Amino acid sequence: MEIFITLFITGVGLGALYFLVASGLSLIYGLMGVLNFAHGAFLTAGAYAAWYFTTEVRADGSLTSYAISLVLSGLVGAIFAVATEQLLIKHLYDRHIDQALVTVGLGLVAVSAYLGWFGSDPLIALPPTQLYDVVQIGDAFVGIDRFLYITVAGLVLLANFLMLRYTRIGLVIRAGVENRAMVTALGIDVRKAFTFVFFIGGFAAGLGGALATTYASGVGPTLGDAFLIYAFITVVIGGMGSIPGTAIAAVIVGTTQVLVNYYVQGLGDFVVVLLLAVVLLTRPQGLLGKVAH
Amino acid sequence: MILLPSKYRFVPLIFMLIAGFGAFTPLIDEPGLQQTFAVAFLFGGLALTYDLLLGFTGLLSFGHALFYAAGAYGAAFAMARWDWGIIPAGIFALFFAFLVALFTGTAALRVKGIAFAMVTLAFAEAGHVIVTLNLWGLSEGDKTLQLNFDSVPDFFLGVANTRNLYLLALITLAIIYLAVWWLTQSSVGRVWQALRENEERVSVLGLRPFSFKLIAFVLAGVMAAFVGVVAVVVTNNANPVMASTQTTISLLLMVILGGIATRWGAVIGGLIYVVLSQRLTTLDTQGALAGLPEWIGGPMSEPAFILGVIFILVVMFSPGGIAGALYRLRLKIASFK
Amino acid sequence: MTSNAAIRVSDLSLAIGGAKIVDGVTLEVAPGELLGIIGPNGAGKTSLFNLISGLRPATRGKIFLGDDDITTESTASRASKGLGRTFQTSSVFTMLSVLENVRLAAEAAMGGSMKITRRAYSFKPAIEKAEQALEAVGLSDKKFSFAGSLSHGDKRRLEIAIVLASDAKVVMLDEPMAGMSVENVPVLTEIIRSLSRDYNRTVLMVEHHMHVVLGLADRIAVMHQGELLICADPQTVINDPTVQSAYLVESL
Repeated sequence: MEIFITLFITGVGLGALYFLVASGLSLIYGLMGVLNFAHGAFLTAGAYAAWYFTTEVRADGSLTSYAISLVLSGLVGAIFAVATEQLLIKHLYDRHIDQALVTVGLGLVAVSAYLGWFGSDPLIALPPTQLYDVVQIGDAFVGIDRFLYITVAGLVLLANFLMLRYTRIGLVIRAGVENRAMVTALGIDVRKAFTFVFFIGGFAAGLGGALATTYASGVGPTLGDAFLIYAFITVVIGGMGSIPGTAIAAVIVGTTQVLVNYYVQGLGDFVVVLLLAVVLLTRPQGLLGKVAH
Repeated sequence: MILLPSKYRFVPLIFMLIAGFGAFTPLIDEPGLQQTFAVAFLFGGLALTYDLLLGFTGLLSFGHALFYAAGAYGAAFAMARWDWGIIPAGIFALFFAFLVALFTGTAALRVKGIAFAMVTLAFAEAGHVIVTLNLWGLSEGDKTLQLNFDSVPDFFLGVANTRNLYLLALITLAIIYLAVWWLTQSSVGRVWQALRENEERVSVLGLRPFSFKLIAFVLAGVMAAFVGVVAVVVTNNANPVMASTQTTISLLLMVILGGIATRWGAVIGGLIYVVLSQRLTTLDTQGALAGLPEWIGGPMSEPAFILGVIFILVVMFSPGGIAGALYRLRLKIASFK
Repeated sequence: MTSNAAIRVSDLSLAIGGAKIVDGVTLEVAPGELLGIIGPNGAGKTSLFNLISGLRPATRGKIFLGDDDITTESTASRASKGLGRTFQTSSVFTMLSVLENVRLAAEAAMGGSMKITRRAYSFKPAIEKAEQALEAVGLSDKKFSFAGSLSHGDKRRLEIAIVLASDAKVVMLDEPMAGMSVENVPVLTEIIRSLSRDYNRTVLMVEHHMHVVLGLADRIAVMHQGELLICADPQTVINDPTVQSAYLVESL
């Protein structure tokens, strides 16, 4: 039982990381119809920023430095994402396949740039040691960092929720996910919303990158791509464009993966991809997605 | 999208013939170069099988690598564990890939568009996990599954015989090329092209889209497996990268780079991709990048960086890839006359 | 109950999330008859076609092609039993040649289905049939052009050639005149007329051009908010007070 608790919380923690990547993917796809293959690159950019800040700029290992690095990595991810939207995506307006293809190319370019700049070996990050403490729940011991991931993802979920529900741009995004043609027909400029979803999606991914560096104890060029595949799976299972769906799916994917992997190493990854296939074949729109017309 | 006028349709075959003779001239004499070209020919063929789905049928699959790997691992496994000869092992591998394609295709084709892309991705990832982690002892895990040298004729072994591998790969490419040509000109091939544009329109003609898409999916899968079998002989192993999503994505890049739905476009895209990615690494070692500052020289020494930039530029500024650019050039020249 | 109708629908309905798109439509069309279907935008005309051709499953009701209950069959199987249609926006296969568009329909209708060993360009029976259909709509001289390069009017003709070649007994035309230039309307009107008169096809035609419908149709069905208001000969329909209030007043 103890081991189950430990694994379950670790799984939710991993799911939290998936959610940080997947929430942006989901909104971008839901609103713009763009499958963003460069999202992993945003995450990696944030991860390198966090690594650089905590090892080169303020290598004191304090919680304050770590907190600053989180914000910084979010901003780096957001700037990268907005630049992508402004320089590449925008010019391929309404050419969805080409937009996806460009992000594929960008993902490739980014990974090889990281490789050229930082080398292929993972760079070791030094997060505050307090994060590696364990707490006791019943008889089980769980790393504190797990709770950090869950808290941050929870805050992002809450922020997403408040933004979508109570702001004007959130209203535009929700309406756009529902029916983009209609929103455009009403004369609302959706393009600002496009840039905005890239900003928040990139921010969450960059933030995820900093946390993933802590989770994986380092950052390598393909860190983001490793997360991207499972983030895609999360988005699709949850339903494209649905943030609550994405959150639920993230927990399912993370816990399934960790639990099954504990018993047979690698089988968890296998089960998760099959889970995706099963969900899509029985419910193509995902758990909470809208039926496409 | 852009069909070569009939007077040019034999040009790619003539080039293949020339490439065949080229191996006997000093031009392509060095085994390293022959090996590079052999791999390039195989990827040209593989890209063509992918284009049969993407370009000629309109199916965006992220799982094509699965069938390539099924062919490679199927053959390598039968040779290594059962000591079969290359021919029976190859036939076994094709049959195995056929079953995998039939099963995954039947499931995946129940959904469309992005969902289809994701289901195929899932199946391929499942395959990738199986070979990488050596589930059920089917592969050698992270390590490669080596070719059993007793299973293939001697003239395909050793550096001295690289020319024979070059020719084997070239013939494979020619076979795939002719097969895709033959298929796309058939009655069924025309239905594929129609499906790519408008599935509903096809169904109101009384044709079941599902059946036709499944035929395309399985045929493309079996042909990819054929390339996989030959790849085991040419590269002497089957390895987990073959099954990775990265492989499928590079096929996508090749097809888009060369020009979608043009047959020769996919081949050219595959050739360019492989030759560039293998030869660009030498740019760095030859010191061609020595003068550049580190922040740009570092990425430039990665072939994928340059390929990725070229790819982005092609998508943004030259729809239809190289084939599309040539076509527009021809139109322009024609308009001057 | 048996009838000699070419196509018959009874109580056909489509509801999406509580909204009644098509509501209890019952209709019979005799062989060779040309039925015009009119109604304001959003009346459910195209949805009715989608139900009949099977692109959407009906929430309620039955569809008969002759005596054959096709309610639960797939679009493709309905089509192979002789139900053809065109779409509101031209939907020819733009990347195929004009001839190939029609040849595909002809070959699909010939039974025995498609063969992978059969060369598309040398299958004589289908090509001949396609050429006849193109002749009938006056597109013979453009048969080797890409369908995508045709003018809007020619695409509409091509669609008619496709249903001609496909041997469909019952043909549904969704706004065949939409976007046509004034001088092309009479030509296309004659082509459609000959579909029912010379080729003895049963035609259901959704159309907004009132004078076209009045000139062509044997009977006119009026739809309004998913319901069938009336289905009668043109004169009766024009004089019907409910129809006038629902639709005709604004349109005439």
